[in-house]
Amino acid sequence: MTDHERYEAVVVGCGPGGAAAAANLARNGVETLVLERGVDAGSKNVSGGLIYAEESAPYTIDGLFPDFREEASERPVTENYIHNVAGDKVKTFDIGDLHHHDTAWADSVLRRRMDSWLARRVHELTRETGGGLLTEVHVTGLLREKGEIVGVTCEELDPIEADIVVAADGVNSELARDAGLMDWEDPDEWFQGVKAVAEMDPDVVDERFDIDEDEGEAHLFSGDLFDGVRGGGFLYTNEASLSIGTVFHLDSIAEERAEPQELLDSLLTHPLMAQWLGDDYHEVEYSAKLVPDSKKAALTAPHQDRLVVVGDAAGQMQAQGPIIKGMNHAVTAGALAAEAFADARSRGDPHRAGEFYEKKLHDEGVMDKLRPTSYRAVGKIGELGPIDGVANAVAESAVGRFGVRAAEGLVERAYNSPTLVSMIPDTKLPYVTLPTILGEELGERVTDENHVQPPELDDRIGDLTYDVGDPHIELVDNSFEASGTAVTACPVSAKDFGGGCYRDEMVQTNGHEEHLVSLDTQPCVECGTCAVVADTDWEHPAGGKGVEFEQG
Amino acid sequence: MPDIDPTEHEIADLGPKIKDVDDADELREMLALEEDGEDRVPVKTLIEDRIEKVEAEDEGELDPETVDLTEMTVADIANMVRDVDDADVLRDILEREREGKERSSAITQIENRIESVEGSDDEGEDVEYVPPEEKYPELDHPTNDKQWVEGTAGAEYRDMWVFCETQAGELVDVSKEMLGKARDLMDQYNEDYDADERVVAVLLGDEAGDYVEDVTAYGADLVLYHEDDRLERFRHKPYTEIVTDMSRAGGELASEGHEDVDWKDYHEPRYTVFPATNNGRDLSALVQGALDSGLASDCSGLYIEEAMISNPAKVGTAGDKKEFERVLHMKRPDFSGFEYSTILCIDKPNRDFHPQGASVIPGSFEIPDPDYDREAEVVEYEMDLDDEWFEVGVTEFDRLSGGVDLTGNEVVVAVGRGIGDDPTTGIELALDLVDAFDDADLGLSRGVITSSYAFDSHVEQYVSEERQIGESGQVVEPDVYIAAGISGAIQHKVGCDEADTIVAINTDPEADIRDFSDYVIEGDLFEVLPRLTEAVERGELAAAVEASDD
Repeated sequence: MTDHERYEAVVVGCGPGGAAAAANLARNGVETLVLERGVDAGSKNVSGGLIYAEESAPYTIDGLFPDFREEASERPVTENYIHNVAGDKVKTFDIGDLHHHDTAWADSVLRRRMDSWLARRVHELTRETGGGLLTEVHVTGLLREKGEIVGVTCEELDPIEADIVVAADGVNSELARDAGLMDWEDPDEWFQGVKAVAEMDPDVVDERFDIDEDEGEAHLFSGDLFDGVRGGGFLYTNEASLSIGTVFHLDSIAEERAEPQELLDSLLTHPLMAQWLGDDYHEVEYSAKLVPDSKKAALTAPHQDRLVVVGDAAGQMQAQGPIIKGMNHAVTAGALAAEAFADARSRGDPHRAGEFYEKKLHDEGVMDKLRPTSYRAVGKIGELGPIDGVANAVAESAVGRFGVRAAEGLVERAYNSPTLVSMIPDTKLPYVTLPTILGEELGERVTDENHVQPPELDDRIGDLTYDVGDPHIELVDNSFEASGTAVTACPVSAKDFGGGCYRDEMVQTNGHEEHLVSLDTQPCVECGTCAVVADTDWEHPAGGKGVEFEQG
Repeated sequence: MPDIDPTEHEIADLGPKIKDVDDADELREMLALEEDGEDRVPVKTLIEDRIEKVEAEDEGELDPETVDLTEMTVADIANMVRDVDDADVLRDILEREREGKERSSAITQIENRIESVEGSDDEGEDVEYVPPEEKYPELDHPTNDKQWVEGTAGAEYRDMWVFCETQAGELVDVSKEMLGKARDLMDQYNEDYDADERVVAVLLGDEAGDYVEDVTAYGADLVLYHEDDRLERFRHKPYTEIVTDMSRAGGELASEGHEDVDWKDYHEPRYTVFPATNNGRDLSALVQGALDSGLASDCSGLYIEEAMISNPAKVGTAGDKKEFERVLHMKRPDFSGFEYSTILCIDKPNRDFHPQGASVIPGSFEIPDPDYDREAEVVEYEMDLDDEWFEVGVTEFDRLSGGVDLTGNEVVVAVGRGIGDDPTTGIELALDLVDAFDDADLGLSRGVITSSYAFDSHVEQYVSEERQIGESGQVVEPDVYIAAGISGAIQHKVGCDEADTIVAINTDPEADIRDFSDYVIEGDLFEVLPRLTEAVERGELAAAVEASDD
């Protein structure tokens, strides 16, 4: 027999999913060890920045962690708008009804603050059970015995055995990949988000948005802002800063050879933003992450042997048009996984937790939110080329445009219908064509002058300088054909920029010229984009190494 | 009549006087005088107390030569013998105990006392040594099978021995540093103690004799060396055996053939100093172990001083303090240098802890100026080396290059991704410029090192992380830093910002490097570098740079 260190439960990652799992395990008296690879929980995490508490959900973050809203979140979202942009014309709809549907509350958050607060609570709770939270430990894979998953392997520690392993290790989960549950193959299963956090005095936030200190706003942007790349933008108010970002379908970024940082700049410099950003734009952090599209990537059976997978690691990220919900589902999933283990243990068969967890996800309605039947029925058909093409053509036609003008109220109602929104296909029509037409036909001209000068990419990277240790990504095929997309798609690389992760190079060898790509992981923000669009061996850096977000 | 009539004294001065009276009868007479005279209660109490005490002492006093041991407990015997300093009396007691009850624990107590009396000086301060396993039988003693090698006590030690490491045909710097320090310490020592002890340099190797002159110049009074082809590379076993054998020569434990040597007449060295290098760390631990002493490893400071010690294990009597002379104080950093400890290696009453040994972190002491006029006694130490010591051999070895240290150069010429169009030529041109200066070397930006550029083999050797300038590479502060084709990212800036003069060559005059350069040459490095090289060769650049210092 082996003599591994042993805990009843090992939770990998201390984001909201891991924290919820750990807290609920601890409350059930399960000896729980939590492993976090960052120097502090939250230092590896990025989020656009809204966390929801759904009325229909069995668990919410403030239910599991009392005082969460006072201590760890920024502002409650009290106003919601979507802006359809066509050039300098903008048509704004109030989507408060959609937002409020099934929402107990929604707050903006910054992940470093939020996750590190959660981690302290988690440590207090798990310590009581004989476990605790360890930071700067990189869990590299699954420990197997006779082919069965029995624990985890780590870069810094000896392997650890457990009756349940909760993989809450995020969108680039090494555990879900080790188990063969996830891959990085299809760009169309992913979104890529980039975000800037701009410092702003709380009084200035209140004034520019005309809100009180206990109020906040959420703005979404779509239309022709982004050179036809499918996706949109957002702006959320924090206590003393703004989170401004863009989220695009990764396949679209790859196809268009778009530069994510330039798309973000398009939003930052649009005249519409002038009223909020003013003349004193000061960006304190640039960040990026991959976002799984739960409609395609959410695991229907997120478990194997003693492993259960929660949150981004299991693809549990709901993104349907203007609805973007991830953290709340991670919290529910984490807490349900813990509940499943407690159930299984009390039945004397702790290793059946995965099976119970899957059932709970279905019974509690989480799975239907992640993979809505209405999208499967209607949305998918909409994505088939010819139909989308026809729809686009109709929308572009005079008749279509007339319809839009005639049906302004209808459009706002449609935006506010959860059912209609859940059917939105992932095509240009809803993201680009329709909003642009809305903007053109209904929009009012914005006359403000935008004075924002976003930082250059090298300055953005300069602020993210950190200890890289050994390169954690290896380029398997360095030909431009195989990996060249990363030069543009990587949020910290750009064509003709030598200081990024990926650089394309024309290299003379033996008299003929080759188009190659070289990689330097120093500026890497660990988003995982290149794992999908280039040919790499991708791992996270060692514990405590790599990117360290202050805001997140 | 007693000597003191209490009625003639005040109580205050009677107290001290009465302590000298040991005769109970005399004290009773004094008491009677007081009762007849002033009859002071406190005085009477004082005298009565004294009578009681004197009589108790008389009763308790056993004559060790006549006492009946069979009526005494082992503890009583142990207490009694503690006060007996005469070994003959103790032997008589021992004899009587053997004839009487023959209690082994009593016999051990008496024997121990004999041993400590005979081995001790006239002070009689020593306490018997009780092995820990006897003293604390209730505890585990996992190390009690690890007995000491020598167990010497009270032997003679002299001199400071320095193991001088050589590598690849050179005396390593730390050897010179240690010799210099040893010289200073022993000069002071000889003055302080009016002594004549020496610095002894020990050299081992296949050509150990070649370094005799050097170690003499750096301060040795006596050089001991042993040459053998098999000692070309360091190996634990033979090196340990030789140094141990040398240390014991001429002493009580000298090996065969080394009982009498004319260069040493003491047991073992007083002090030993080793380098805290990979090899020196190995050797120091093994030799100090063999010589039955301790080791203070990785020291950064040494001095010789008295030390007042109260540890009963060292002093011999609980509660006493004792000053130890000539103690080598060995300072070493703890917790990565946040704290320092000073280690002392001090004899126990029943067991010597000599040599007082230290290994020294390279760079801790200055390299002294060598004096090649110095003279030293030189001894080639003859010794047969056992073949078994060489069972582990070195079949093959690879010497790593020392790495590239760019920090000491007056000029650093660095190139970045601006060489991308023709990387090999870019490096060549930079190397030409390096050669034009007296003291210059080549640096690279991280972007070049992590690129996929195909370099021709003759310049490929230069493209490695050893030459990287910047946050994750080297930080240089040369007089002149020439940055060709480097955009000047913040990570690069931290590696060169402290240079006196920064000259940037870039096709983009607005590149970030402009912000921290003194001169920006707008142009293609493939054209600018050759012209710069030419200018340096003509002596024009130096003039320009000097002008900028003002």
